[in-house]
Amino acid sequence: MAEFRVGRGHDGPARVGEYILGPTTYITPLLASSFTSSDTIIAYGALDRDSPLSDKPMLVALPFAGHIDDIPFSKIRESDAVILPSLISFASLSSDASNLVLKYQHEVLSKTTPDLDASRTVIRIPSDADSVLLSKLTEVGPLGAMFSFNGHLGPQDFGAIKTRSRLPLHMMTLAAGRIEPGLIPLLYYTGFDVIDVGYAEESATASERLWKNGSEKIELGKDRRYCSCPACAKLDTAGTKDLQGILLEHNLSIYRSVLSESQEAMKTGRLRWLVESSTHNSPAQASLVRSVNNELYSYIEEFSPTTGPKALPVIGSESYHAPVVQRFRDFVANRYTPPANKSIVVLLPCSAKKPYSDSKSHRRFASTIQSAMFGLESRVAEVILTSPLGLVPRELERIYPAGQYDIPVTGDWDAEEIEIGASALATHLRKFSSSAVVIAHVSGGYLDIVRAVESRIEQSLIYTTPEGRATSRPSLEALKETLEDIKSILNLSGGPRTELEEIVSATADYQFGTGAGNVLVPANAKLKGKPYRMILCSVDGEQVCSFVAESGSLSLTLAGGRLLAPLKRYWVRLEAPKVKGGSVFAVGVQEADFAIRPGDEVFVINRADDVIAVGRSDMSGREMCELTRGRAVSVRHKKE
Amino acid sequence: MERNIAEINEVVQNATIHARGNSLKHRKKRDPTRPAARWITEARVGRERGTALAVVLSTIGCAHARSDSGGCTMCSYLLDGVEESPTPEQILSQFRLAMAELESKSAPLSIKIYTSGSFLDPDEIPPIARSEILRIIAEDKRIREVVLESRPEYINDQVLSGVRSILGDRIIEIGMGLESSSDTVRSVCINKNFDLNAFKIALKTAKNHNIGIRAYVLLKPPLLSERDALLDATKTIQEAKALGVTTVSLNPVNVQKDTLVEKLWSKGRYRPPWLWSVLEVLRNAGSGTDRWMKIVCDPVAGGKQRGAHNCGKCDTGIVEAIRQFSISQDSTVLQNHTCECISQWKHVLKHEDFALVVHR
Repeated sequence: MAEFRVGRGHDGPARVGEYILGPTTYITPLLASSFTSSDTIIAYGALDRDSPLSDKPMLVALPFAGHIDDIPFSKIRESDAVILPSLISFASLSSDASNLVLKYQHEVLSKTTPDLDASRTVIRIPSDADSVLLSKLTEVGPLGAMFSFNGHLGPQDFGAIKTRSRLPLHMMTLAAGRIEPGLIPLLYYTGFDVIDVGYAEESATASERLWKNGSEKIELGKDRRYCSCPACAKLDTAGTKDLQGILLEHNLSIYRSVLSESQEAMKTGRLRWLVESSTHNSPAQASLVRSVNNELYSYIEEFSPTTGPKALPVIGSESYHAPVVQRFRDFVANRYTPPANKSIVVLLPCSAKKPYSDSKSHRRFASTIQSAMFGLESRVAEVILTSPLGLVPRELERIYPAGQYDIPVTGDWDAEEIEIGASALATHLRKFSSSAVVIAHVSGGYLDIVRAVESRIEQSLIYTTPEGRATSRPSLEALKETLEDIKSILNLSGGPRTELEEIVSATADYQFGTGAGNVLVPANAKLKGKPYRMILCSVDGEQVCSFVAESGSLSLTLAGGRLLAPLKRYWVRLEAPKVKGGSVFAVGVQEADFAIRPGDEVFVINRADDVIAVGRSDMSGREMCELTRGRAVSVRHKKE
Repeated sequence: MERNIAEINEVVQNATIHARGNSLKHRKKRDPTRPAARWITEARVGRERGTALAVVLSTIGCAHARSDSGGCTMCSYLLDGVEESPTPEQILSQFRLAMAELESKSAPLSIKIYTSGSFLDPDEIPPIARSEILRIIAEDKRIREVVLESRPEYINDQVLSGVRSILGDRIIEIGMGLESSSDTVRSVCINKNFDLNAFKIALKTAKNHNIGIRAYVLLKPPLLSERDALLDATKTIQEAKALGVTTVSLNPVNVQKDTLVEKLWSKGRYRPPWLWSVLEVLRNAGSGTDRWMKIVCDPVAGGKQRGAHNCGKCDTGIVEAIRQFSISQDSTVLQNHTCECISQWKHVLKHEDFALVVHR
């Protein structure tokens, strides 16, 4: 028996896990090699050709055979994982060939079970594997899946990642072949659990020293880069015959360090950033990352958490369509509805400090708007233009990633950013009355966005930054005068800003979809608190949710869950009638909304549709259904 | 599993046909009265040193390669042939031209007749031309050894008794492309289109006429890892020896035009064997030899990208040693070679087997 347990935590499809072979538990992500093994490196070799490095279980590859009797099964050790046979380069001959690779392994698998437990087997998957045949093969029960990378980062390597994205979630996946250290963040990010470091040895035998983003030919006695590793300290006194050993030690340490960096980045929600930084390793790698971004967006997005680090670096063009960024734009476009009474829309520039309200510039904007509107603040909608989020309605300024993203703020925007902003703005303004007035209190790149949509919007548009800087005294003066003019021309009436209702309602729509705001914040809702700390929302004397400023998101109570239940979104159904303990585990989940992402607020129901708990998801909805282990929901409140 | 293997074979066959493409139609126009090639080398003739003439007759080419089964995955010898079958007279004139090379040579001589197909296939070499060629040889007393080439399906009692009666007591060997003793490798990786049993029967028939068999053993057909290939060739030589072949000719694959091998090679999905593997196979073969079976090897394009090669620094010396060994059968010349690239080769042996990714 072998087991693969997916652990807690996600940053994209990256995950931690335990690969259990007999008495040994390997923690994934894990490296694999033929020349060394340890707790963090699993050994591999070919059956009957390579002798095991130690008593610990290893990955043993079966040679190709024409007859099942030609495979020396008796030589397989008790706990080793067994890689099924295939022919090198065969799958590339045609799509029939690729299918046959799967069919042949299926045949081998059917002949080896039950003597060899299917869970111990690892299937070799061609990069263009047919989905139907692949799922037939995975249904037989192999727990491992192996992909071969030729290191060109071209169609074959991308194909491997793409096919990996279609695998059942419970399978341990292994990336083998020519894998340079710089590729590890991307492989880990795209869901590979075990990574072959064979290239460390190949390079060492060719006198190459590997680095995180390239390599260097080493000749003794010639200049070389400085390296602080203990192996390289020996280079000064080394002889020719020591060189390969030293380089192997160095190269391996690079793999370990990059994997460790990736693990740490995953834990802190910065793996995406690490992957984005790796695009500059080479043009080929940049192309590969772009292909992953474009073609595997929904796969990556499904496992990208809706909460994240306090500061989320969003730096280059690779970030424009990062899942958390793209998702934010989608949600604002599709889920956000402005309150009905807004007659004035003020467009403002973003600030480096988050949330915007805490910045000096936004405090100035706020006081200008307040003094101009004086009692009629509720008629003004504030919209902050920013890249690459597009725009942020004031009510959503604290939600992830709007409250956390960190961009270089020189104000120079490229054409794609301007188009992203313009399209978001055009969509957004369509949600306001055509008789509303739009005030563009922006300059520089922001101004380019507004100009780009001028012809696409119905409202009248006024620019209030004559001096070019939104925070300058003349600009603020112009904003104030404009607001006062509009106030009197439109003869506005109304009241002070209904800030708390707007924040809770908009956040509810954002988190749970359109309509949730009306359900959680009906006309008779009572709200109290501060936007920068906490807002409590009660209906009919019962608290339904609270807005937590730190995360910018809502936490439900059971009553809130009951109100939301009819919308049939963000639900998790248990087989059990009640929740026991502080967690819901995947094994107990009967079905779940596939829209759920790790970090989402969800409610838990039983078969009778009673809301029995509310909490935060620890995995995506599909994982809750497919995985048989692991925590699905951290429960906050439950029905006793 | 048998069905899977048959299906795999079919895919390989189609890919081979596809790789061959129109190349047959674009064969060079050749003079049908001149052989495709001929050369003279120093060689071992029986137990002595002597001279060997090799002639490649221009014929219509190998029937297997011309058929719908597409020929072998690594072979484009067919391209040496001509479009229309030459007449018996033309074939004879090709042979006489080659024989002229031997004019000044003294005994012992060996003659190797290649056709890029089967010398004993009556469609390739009409029986009348075959007999006439053998008669010319029979008239030359210097010639002690004759090597012919044929697929097993053309080897039968009638043909062989004819050959034997004309050539008298000369040493006769028929070269046959066993390639691998594994039916799986021979069909799936090579598309050879005969099985081990056919080889055994042909060998037995030849033995009855006191004709030896020179078994061609292929090192590294496509779709095998370096170590698969090394182990397969080693095992094949052992089995060939056990079957009683008189000579083993080890042929490291070289990348020939318009073959499946070339197609894979050009995409980085095939690499010709390392010379280290060639050495290893020869050493393994020599270790158990009781000295009566000869082992020869002439790595075509040795040291070049399209042939068996190492790093480039050590290739020339190793190729030379292999050629020396073929003449002298002295396996000590295969010992004590070394180079920095040997560890690269050792890495490839292990890593290719596991990752199934072709290494440079």
